[in-house]
Amino acid sequence: MDNDRSHDNLKEQDYLKDMPNHEFDEAVNTMQSSIQDEIAASTDLLGDKLDISMLKNEYSADDVQYQKKIQNLEKRYSHVRKTRGDGNCFFRAFGFGYLEHMLSDKKDYPIFQENASNSFQKLMDLKYPSFTVEDFFENFISVVNSVKEGVSHTELLNTFREEGMSNYFVVYLRLITSCQLQSDSDFYQNFIDGGKTLVEFCKTEVEPMYLESDHIHIIALTSALGACVRVAYMDRGGDDLSFHDFPEDSQPTLHLLYRPGHYDVLYPR
Amino acid sequence: MSSIATTRIQRELKDIKESNNQSIKIELKSDEFNNLRGEIVGPSGTPYQDGMYKLSIKIPETYPFNPPIVSFDTRIWHPNISSVTGAICLDILKDQWAAALTLRTVLLSLQALLSAAEPDDPQDAVVAKQYKDNQKAFVKTARFWAQYYANAPGPRDTDCVEKLRKASEMGFYKDISLQALSTHSWDLENAIQYLTSC
Repeated sequence: MDNDRSHDNLKEQDYLKDMPNHEFDEAVNTMQSSIQDEIAASTDLLGDKLDISMLKNEYSADDVQYQKKIQNLEKRYSHVRKTRGDGNCFFRAFGFGYLEHMLSDKKDYPIFQENASNSFQKLMDLKYPSFTVEDFFENFISVVNSVKEGVSHTELLNTFREEGMSNYFVVYLRLITSCQLQSDSDFYQNFIDGGKTLVEFCKTEVEPMYLESDHIHIIALTSALGACVRVAYMDRGGDDLSFHDFPEDSQPTLHLLYRPGHYDVLYPR
Repeated sequence: MSSIATTRIQRELKDIKESNNQSIKIELKSDEFNNLRGEIVGPSGTPYQDGMYKLSIKIPETYPFNPPIVSFDTRIWHPNISSVTGAICLDILKDQWAAALTLRTVLLSLQALLSAAEPDDPQDAVVAKQYKDNQKAFVKTARFWAQYYANAPGPRDTDCVEKLRKASEMGFYKDISLQALSTHSWDLENAIQYLTSC
């Protein structure tokens, strides 16, 4: 089936080659949105908690490198919760995973809540339009506050599974990330290649929906909210998994699994 | 239409009313919140000055997470807007849309686009080529279109008026004649040759 699909893609590329500029853009847009629709139809925004061993089924049995990495993953983690691969997966995994953790362990809640509350004024200081930002903030903070007010696990999960509410939350996490990058621009500018200014980077790579996150997004978001996240990297490099804590030397609250281009939530044993 | 999109559009319409900016306007076409009509005034110091440009604004189900679909209803001669369909090439209407932006920011950005074209990222290749190779013909054409289609005030270029009259006297529709003359930088002979060959 995969072969069929790549064959179709080739044909579409041929067909796109001779188009004038704007028709090309439109065709690419149509193609992208049909891919997005296909992904949306096949995966939930947030899946159920699954036994970690099911990851093995996603790779062929003779893929020694990945099967070994999954075995090692199994030693540390019992479950995985998958997110939809729509470019927002890091933000959605972070948002749900962090709040879910704080449902049972309130230790990190006060600092998270305080940073979350202060974020709106910081965005206003950067001259963001209060009209739209306020709307996103109010939705965001009401979800954050619901954790203290004893929202049930099912309710929280439903919030993140409902497209509108879930995307509202993602938009605001993107704004917090952007705000943090701009507030500490001297530091973050060093990470930006391609001659973009930090503001340009935020406008083109952070704030638009459906754009994937990189290290720099994670560093900024975790430091803005005082959150501690460990990412387990499972890719084609090296013989074993690698781990990275944000910030370094912190005691992670949330664990995420990274596979090239995608983040899911992990649950430690 | 989703309630998020509807609520958001209602708030945006209220906000625009309160902002009292005379040079942009957005209103509902009917009772449907997914179909709006916009209007912008051509910015001063440009060939579009004081032209009234009507825009069609369609709101997708997934707004504000995806951008509105905006195009010009009033015809315009500009490198980043199709002179035939009114389709617009503007980053924030495509991959650089963000949910914190609004229809108001879109309209203001369109005004900015009229003030500063980006011929290297064209929507209309013919216009963009003229803009780069023959700036004088471009300004003349853009100004004439603004007067002809967008009711921009001021005396019309007599050369344009005369040539358009000649072409239409030969039996070609005015819109088609104007398109042909504009494409050929007001070379009447070439324009006529083109019109007779199609």
